[in-house]
This record gives sequence, structure tokens and C-alpha cells, in this order.
Amino acid sequence: MHLTLHIWRQQNATSAGGFETYRVDDVLPEMSFLEMLDVLNERLTREGREPVAFDHDCREGICGMCSLVINGAPHGPDRATTTCQLHMRRFHDGETIYIEPFRATAFPVLKDLVVDRSAFDRILAAGGFITARTGSPPDANSVPVPKVDADLAMDAAACIGCGACVAACKNAAAMLFVGAKVSHLALLPQGKPERRRRALQMVQQMDAEGFGGCTNERECEAACPKGISVANIARLNREYLWASLADPE
Amino acid sequence: MAFHRPQKVRMFHRLRTFLGSTLGKKVAMSITGLLLVLFLIAHLAGNLLFFKDQDRSAFDHYAQMLEENPLLPLAEIGLLVLFVVHLGLAFLTTRQNREARATRYRVSQALGKRTLGSSTMLITGILVLAFVVVHLLDFRFKERAPDGLGAMLERRLSEPIGAGIYLLGVIALGIHLSHAVRSALRTLGADHPRFNELLQRGALTLAGVLFLGFAAFPLVVVGSRLGSTLASSSADEGAPTTPADPGLAPLPVSADGQGH
Repeated sequence: MHLTLHIWRQQNATSAGGFETYRVDDVLPEMSFLEMLDVLNERLTREGREPVAFDHDCREGICGMCSLVINGAPHGPDRATTTCQLHMRRFHDGETIYIEPFRATAFPVLKDLVVDRSAFDRILAAGGFITARTGSPPDANSVPVPKVDADLAMDAAACIGCGACVAACKNAAAMLFVGAKVSHLALLPQGKPERRRRALQMVQQMDAEGFGGCTNERECEAACPKGISVANIARLNREYLWASLADPE
Repeated sequence: MAFHRPQKVRMFHRLRTFLGSTLGKKVAMSITGLLLVLFLIAHLAGNLLFFKDQDRSAFDHYAQMLEENPLLPLAEIGLLVLFVVHLGLAFLTTRQNREARATRYRVSQALGKRTLGSSTMLITGILVLAFVVVHLLDFRFKERAPDGLGAMLERRLSEPIGAGIYLLGVIALGIHLSHAVRSALRTLGADHPRFNELLQRGALTLAGVLFLGFAAFPLVVVGSRLGSTLASSSADEGAPTTPADPGLAPLPVSADGQGH
């Protein structure tokens, strides 16, 4: 396969970036998208040019490190698929592909396609945990959890914190991420005692990081590689509203 | 915990924190928006009396009854507050949202449930605001004509410009509401797999009913005027029909406007 790539290149966080065009030949349909970029980078390195910086880690679709907006879609054209699990068979010979970093004021570009997503870490540090030790996994059924709640919590816990929801949202809102994290813990008995404080503090940190608000266009849900439902945003709204009304402090 | 801040200060602090947050602002916008929708339902229900009779006496009587109600100024102030809060928060959140996404993508595509309504909320909102100003100048702050409010409304809607403005205002409102109602309910936390379909359809139906109901006014008046013009020209009388012509043709579309 032969491809024309328009890739966002930016020297560092303070410099202005721009698109550069690369022609890549010898792309195999079996390659993953990141392997295709590896091929490009090998060539750039051989030519003595600077390789394209992009984030990646596990390349198994579970770590949440890869990103990229590919032809306007975070993680590319496949639904419920991370960039590392996207394969070149999804594209056709001669195709032109635009590759951009996740765009959000709260996710500043560090270099080329790499953005700083530590805002998510600070939101989690603000309340996305349980303060007391809950011990090792309890014996089955020793802590009763309704099946429905267990399933919903598990679905929410599937969030890998990649930030595609923010990248997809026209307001760069982090509501799906925060909704998933708040839901995951609020639905389980271990997370319930601190649910109000958690909702208040995580939303406060979310706002402090400069994320936007939710307009209910559901772009985040469509872009999420883990298929997190916007029902979690509605649950976050309920948790936050209730916490604002009823939190004793 | 007697050493805590006094209850009143805490309440104020909490309200400020709540309204200062993105979620709080959206919740306040949703509540004010939904209350404004309730007003629209009442406004439409009352105004449909316009179609009850040819001399608009039922409508004029309804208007007079409203004006004589001593609670009317209170209701008007309430509406003004709802409007100002809704608008103010809309501008605040829009500014915040634009700051959050300062850089645009070179290539972008809508993958979720973006609609005409959802992507034009600010524009349609501003159009509705402009329309409301015109509407208030037309009927609230204008001296009442001796032949009654119904006749005033009919004259206004008989002018091509008047009918155009009212139709545009109603279209903007319809597009705004097509996204607004479901979005507001979702912001207030209304989401349940069993009821989502119902909520979506119900919200769209409500928007559709309000749109058709309000659109009926300019459409029926212009339609009946055209009808009477055609009738008079075919009768070859040559005399121009006045907008307030009491001998307007029957209103075949009115049932349609009320029926949806």
C-alpha cells in the first residue's frame, strides 16, 4: 500500500506547529496503524530526520496510552478500537490520512502527536479512589452486590483514561471520563461511603483543569475505544447534584 | 459541629460553588430552560383561543383576563429572571467551552448524535432572543388598539415582513427545542434504559407541537389573507382588502395547528 500522510509536527510545547506531508510506501494491510508509523520513523531516522513523536505503550488496546485523531476521528475509523488495534487493512491503497494530536486546552501538545494528559491523573487524585484499605478481593458473595450494579460498575471500570472523549467533544469536556470513574466507585459498596465527596472533588478538579461542559451531543460515546455509555454522564450529573444538595459539609 | 461556618454562610458558599461549576451552570440552564418551555405550553394553549372565533372575542377576553390579574407583574418578573439567567449562563458556558477547545481540528467529523439543533444552540438561542424583543415591542409595549389584541395580532401577521419575522422566530425556536428538552433532562440526570426512547420521542414531540402550534399563527393569517385576496380578485371587485378585513375567508388550517 502507498499512503500520503499529513502529520502534525510541533517541536515543543511552546512552538507553533504545522502539518507536514509524508509519502509512505511498503505498507502492509496486516500492519497496525502504529507499526505503519514505526515504518515511517525508521525511514526518517535513516535519512537523519527527526522521527514523529507519538504516544504508545502496551499496543494491546488496554493501557490507554495511544491517542491520535485520524481523519477527524479519535483512535481512527473503527468503533470501540484503540489506535494501536487499528489495522491498515481499514485503509485503501493511495489514501490520504490526516493525523493530528488530541486537541484540548487541558491536554497541551508536548511534541508532534504527544499531548500531556496528566490532567486526568490530577482528577483521579482528587477523589477517584477509596481512602480506606478494602483488603484483598473478598470471598465470592461475602459482599452482596446486585448483578445489575456489578455489570454497570464493570462497564464503567473499562475506561482506560485515554482521553478520546475529550478529543471528540467540541467543548473538550471530560464528562465521560469523570462519569465513568465516579460511576465505577459509586455503584459498588466499597465506594459508596465517599461518593458525595468524590463527585464534588472530581468535578471541582475537572473544572480547574479547564475542560468544557457537556452539550449532550454524544460524540464522546462514539469515540470511546471502550464503549463507555453516556449513561455514566447522567449518573455523574445525579451524583453531583445530589452531593451539592445533601453533602453535610 | 457548632464551630462550623454559620448555616446561612454555608448555604451561600455552597450555591456559589455549585453555580461556579460547569455542571451547576448546566443544571441551572436546564431548569430555567424547562420552566420557559412550561411557559411556552401555557402561552400556546391560551393563544390558540385566537382560532376559536372569527371576531377574536375569545382571544381578546383571554388577554383582558390575563391583564386584569394582579399577579401578572409577578409572573412577568419571574419570566424575565428565567430568561436572563438562562441567557447569561448560556454565554458563560459557551465562552468556557470555546476556551476549553481553543484549537480546531484540520479534519473533523460528527460520529455521535450531533443534530442541526445541537450544533446551533447558541445561534438559535440568539435568534429567539431577537424575536422575543420584537414580539414584546409588538404587543407588550405598544399601545393597545381599540379593536383589541386579536385584531392587532392579525394586522401584524398580515404584513409580509411581520409574518416572516414570526415564522423565522418560530423556526429558530423549533430547532432550539429539538435538542433542548432532551438535553436538559439528561443534564438533570434523566437517563434510564427503559425510558430513554420514550424521553427522546416525548421531547421531540413536545418540540414539534410547540413549533407547529406557534407556526400556525403566521401561516393561518397569511393563508386566509391570500384566500380572501384570491376570492376578491376572482369576484373582480378590484378593491384592495385591508389587513383587518373582518370578512376573512374561513381558516381551514387552524384545526391542523391545534390538532398536533
